[in-house]
Amino acid sequence: MAESICRALRDGALEGEHAPALTIKDSIASPFGFHVFCHVLSQLSSFILAGKSQSGGLVVVSFSRSPSFYLELLKNKGIDVVSSDKRIQILDCYSDPLGWKDRLIEAGNFTALSHEASNSSTANVLKDVKHMDKLYNSIVERGKGLIGGGKNRFSVAIDSVDEMSRHASTSSVAGLLSNLRSHDQVSSIFWLLHSDLHEARVAAVLEYLSSMVTSLEPLHQPANGHRGDLENLSLIEHNLKKGKFHVRIKRRNGRVRVMSEEVHIEQSGISFTSLSSEGAINQGLVPKVQFSLELSEKERIDRANVVLPFEHQGNGKPIQIYDGRRSLADSKHERQVAATEKVQTNEDSGGGEIIYFRDSDDEMPDSDEDPDDDLDI
Amino acid sequence: MAAAKTRTSSFSRNLSAAAPSQGPGLKCGPNGTVFLSSGISDLDKILGGGFPLGSLVMVMEDAEAPHHMLLLRNFMSQGLVHNQPLLYASPAIDPRGFLGTLPSPAASKDEKSHKHDPDQEKGLRIAWQYKKYFGESQLNFDGQRDGKHEYSNEFDLRKPLERHFLSAQRVDCVSIQDSPNLSALQDRSATFLSQYPRNDGSISCAGRIAIQSFSAPQCAYSNMEWDMLSFIRSLKSMVRSSNAVALITFPPSLLSPSFCKRWQHMADTLLSVKAIPDEDKELSQLLTGYQDMVGFLNVHKVARINTQVPVILDATTFSIKLQKRRFLVLECLNQAPVDGSSGTSYGTSGSCSGSSKTGNLDF
Repeated sequence: MAESICRALRDGALEGEHAPALTIKDSIASPFGFHVFCHVLSQLSSFILAGKSQSGGLVVVSFSRSPSFYLELLKNKGIDVVSSDKRIQILDCYSDPLGWKDRLIEAGNFTALSHEASNSSTANVLKDVKHMDKLYNSIVERGKGLIGGGKNRFSVAIDSVDEMSRHASTSSVAGLLSNLRSHDQVSSIFWLLHSDLHEARVAAVLEYLSSMVTSLEPLHQPANGHRGDLENLSLIEHNLKKGKFHVRIKRRNGRVRVMSEEVHIEQSGISFTSLSSEGAINQGLVPKVQFSLELSEKERIDRANVVLPFEHQGNGKPIQIYDGRRSLADSKHERQVAATEKVQTNEDSGGGEIIYFRDSDDEMPDSDEDPDDDLDI
Repeated sequence: MAAAKTRTSSFSRNLSAAAPSQGPGLKCGPNGTVFLSSGISDLDKILGGGFPLGSLVMVMEDAEAPHHMLLLRNFMSQGLVHNQPLLYASPAIDPRGFLGTLPSPAASKDEKSHKHDPDQEKGLRIAWQYKKYFGESQLNFDGQRDGKHEYSNEFDLRKPLERHFLSAQRVDCVSIQDSPNLSALQDRSATFLSQYPRNDGSISCAGRIAIQSFSAPQCAYSNMEWDMLSFIRSLKSMVRSSNAVALITFPPSLLSPSFCKRWQHMADTLLSVKAIPDEDKELSQLLTGYQDMVGFLNVHKVARINTQVPVILDATTFSIKLQKRRFLVLECLNQAPVDGSSGTSYGTSGSCSGSSKTGNLDF
């Protein structure tokens, strides 16, 4: 559940433990990763500002969105970053990640444009993201600047690990993340990953490094890959508004908690509801025996068609019971069949049939009846 | 040779009288092998005595659970308690910090529940044809209980190891995160192992090497797969000719499948640990004691040095439990008494690769 994830990030790390780390993973089939990231970000920010969390500050490393986006986002949630800039800092790796503007200025071909200087207190432009150590140092520096020294801790939110992986090798990205996790003053850390932008190994590495993994999947898988089908189009449209939210939490005792929820994207934001059970639970209720206890559809129909040899079938009209003394054609006459009758010769009405005379005199008694009942004493 | 003693092979080494003076840390086994304890007495029993000297033990981690750390901690603590020097390598920046989490031996074994065993035996009347099996296990029990220095200690995971065990001459730590290639680690291992050469004389001391998360992604060499493989091969050959045991843990999900297989073949003893899902109703119906379990341990391969006879275990999957949250215990899996389950829920029997991340259980 999204609530438990946010709570885990809020509670932070125990003494001597690595900080909890969350990976938010999505793919093109269910592209809500960024919405989930913003949701977690706003939740954690409100916890931090309310003083309910272990961490005293938040450093947002923004690669894929400009810092003003985050300022807007948090303002819409009621968090005014500028006035509370002692708590939330945004490290701007979006505007000029490779330092091109400076190099162009040096080359003399470019006149410097004025940056958004008013936001300089919250945004710090990082110009060299290729070197993970420098990024690490800047993050830690910003964090320490937020909280001061001592036992205080800060949280880190990384906008998109994809951008980081573009600039640096997987092992250096992994090194950065694990060093952040094991830093004494980091309380919690979370990041977003678009899994189809990378090889499978990158996703595996990030899952290895994190203590909670959330993945987004479409609710309905399209039947085949053809996107032109009308049915598939409506499915895809459906998938753009809703999805399944799977969470795997690695608990301290070594067990893995697996949870699922439904996620809806609306104008106002994102909402999580519990998964509507679609029959996936029923499999567990059938005991696993070696016989097939289920009936196929044809078998069910055949079973309904069998005429049972009872006195009446519940239809309201009396049933002629085939007791072998009349052919079936005579059963149209509405006559109650007497329970006992004399033996009469049976008319042959076809090929193979079961010859049974109900309650006839030479009928063998049932084995569970008392054989002494036959004695006429 | 008395006929009453069962021998497992027709060849037995002519052990001289110098053998018993090895001390409590080493135990002689069949075929001239000498064992040292893994730190977990249940695991020693499963493996037939412990880890043989000169073998390479590899543990396949599960990315979702830290159970390999339990194995590592017990292994390292056992070595330190028995005065067997240790070389520890890990991808952390400060590996020495991990030493503070090593467990200490539990108070004494007499307090544990062994005492009611003799009482039970008096009440049991064992049929005569089974007495020969009973006698053998009795032998093992007595051998382990004499004296304070036991071959395999019971470790209390909540009590840290005393400081004097962690002095520098016994423990050497290496951080493998920043080294661009493996030559530094290889040199350190070589110098460490050269102190314990194997010759035909008596064994004075044995060493232990513990390498944690060898292919961890934050290590700079982690994408150099051939280099890592050749390191393992050279380590294996160095260990084989010395009186030491090397334990390497690695996460197989981060390796390519062909390299995962190659690494598994390199190992003399191959174990894997697996996480279990929390609050899984199907599992709790299927297995007894599910609430206490924290994970599974699979034994894929058992080292057989100096012999061609393979070990066929009764069971290869064991559950890891923490008794009173302190003592690590391995138990066979017991199926709960449910109305007969079919074979479909078990799938194939015992798959070798620990890299599958499915929810199915392969027993």
